[in-house]
Amino acid sequence: MNKADEATQRKLLAVFAHPDDESFICGGTLAKYASEGVEITLVSATKGDMGRRMGNPPYLNRETMAAARELELRNACECLGIRHLQFLGIRDKTVEFIDVDHLADRIAVLIRETNPDAVLTFHETWGGHPDHCAIGKATTTAFQRAGSKGNLYFISFGSEMERPERFGYTRKEVMKIDVQAHLEAKLAAFRAHRCQSEMDEWVWMADREALKRFGRYEYFMKGNRETPSRVLHDLF
Amino acid sequence: MIPIMKPQVEAELRSFVGAEAYIHSEATSFVFVRNFKVNVTHAYVAGDGPFRVALRFDGHGWLRMEALTHYEADGKGRLLLAGYDDRGRMNVALHLGKESFPE
Repeated sequence: MNKADEATQRKLLAVFAHPDDESFICGGTLAKYASEGVEITLVSATKGDMGRRMGNPPYLNRETMAAARELELRNACECLGIRHLQFLGIRDKTVEFIDVDHLADRIAVLIRETNPDAVLTFHETWGGHPDHCAIGKATTTAFQRAGSKGNLYFISFGSEMERPERFGYTRKEVMKIDVQAHLEAKLAAFRAHRCQSEMDEWVWMADREALKRFGRYEYFMKGNRETPSRVLHDLF
Repeated sequence: MIPIMKPQVEAELRSFVGAEAYIHSEATSFVFVRNFKVNVTHAYVAGDGPFRVALRFDGHGWLRMEALTHYEADGKGRLLLAGYDDRGRMNVALHLGKESFPE
């Protein structure tokens, strides 16, 4: 890459809690931006080692789960086009008990190192799982500490942000990303997370049938709300 | 993990009696403990499947778990017991190790 390319290279940092958050929640968006040449770094706080789904029929146990899910996540990253993956080494289900200042400092270092144009994480209230909310809170703090020039976004589930008012957001604070052209990659990533998706029969139906389960859009709440967005269909 | 065979699991449990053992025990979704170190004095398996397992330890302690369906003696001095539902979701786990489990 020459200097001009480096200057125009767009970068995205996603900081989530568990292997599969990136695929199940916003896999279409990550695949879309990867396909456009955005350099994506994914940080997973845990290896999902306390998950319940052990394959169907079960082939994992508590002690083999971390390695299996790490491998699945690496495969999912290939499906989505994510080139950089890091773990924070926290045990699943314990993120909220880690000192938030310390955790935010670690994430701020990553933000300064990767210098992202967009940071994705969970909303600290609407994250849906204690680990999600905790990593979202730490990443939001880190984003402020790092003085990042980019934008912060909170990922959301399904189409719940079609009515953002329930969450205290307006429509102008919600980005709506068209991922129609990237649903095959999202499905491949679902299948890469085999032990987690195995019991969901629809994932393993013929592609055409399985793809019908995905919405065309993925939604993101603006994290830095004071900065107005010119367009609401692009994170950059 | 293979379906529990009572005599084999009883024999595996006996190898922990009279010694210190590290315990990982969980009822998934509700509680887990990891690396409790206890001195096992008795170990029991009951039921015809799913199975119940109980440990007595340190002269005054009990640990009892039910709904166990599968096990594995993983060759590293660890006995892993777990209970799965019919879709592969784990309900309970009871692991005994001669060394501590990864934190």
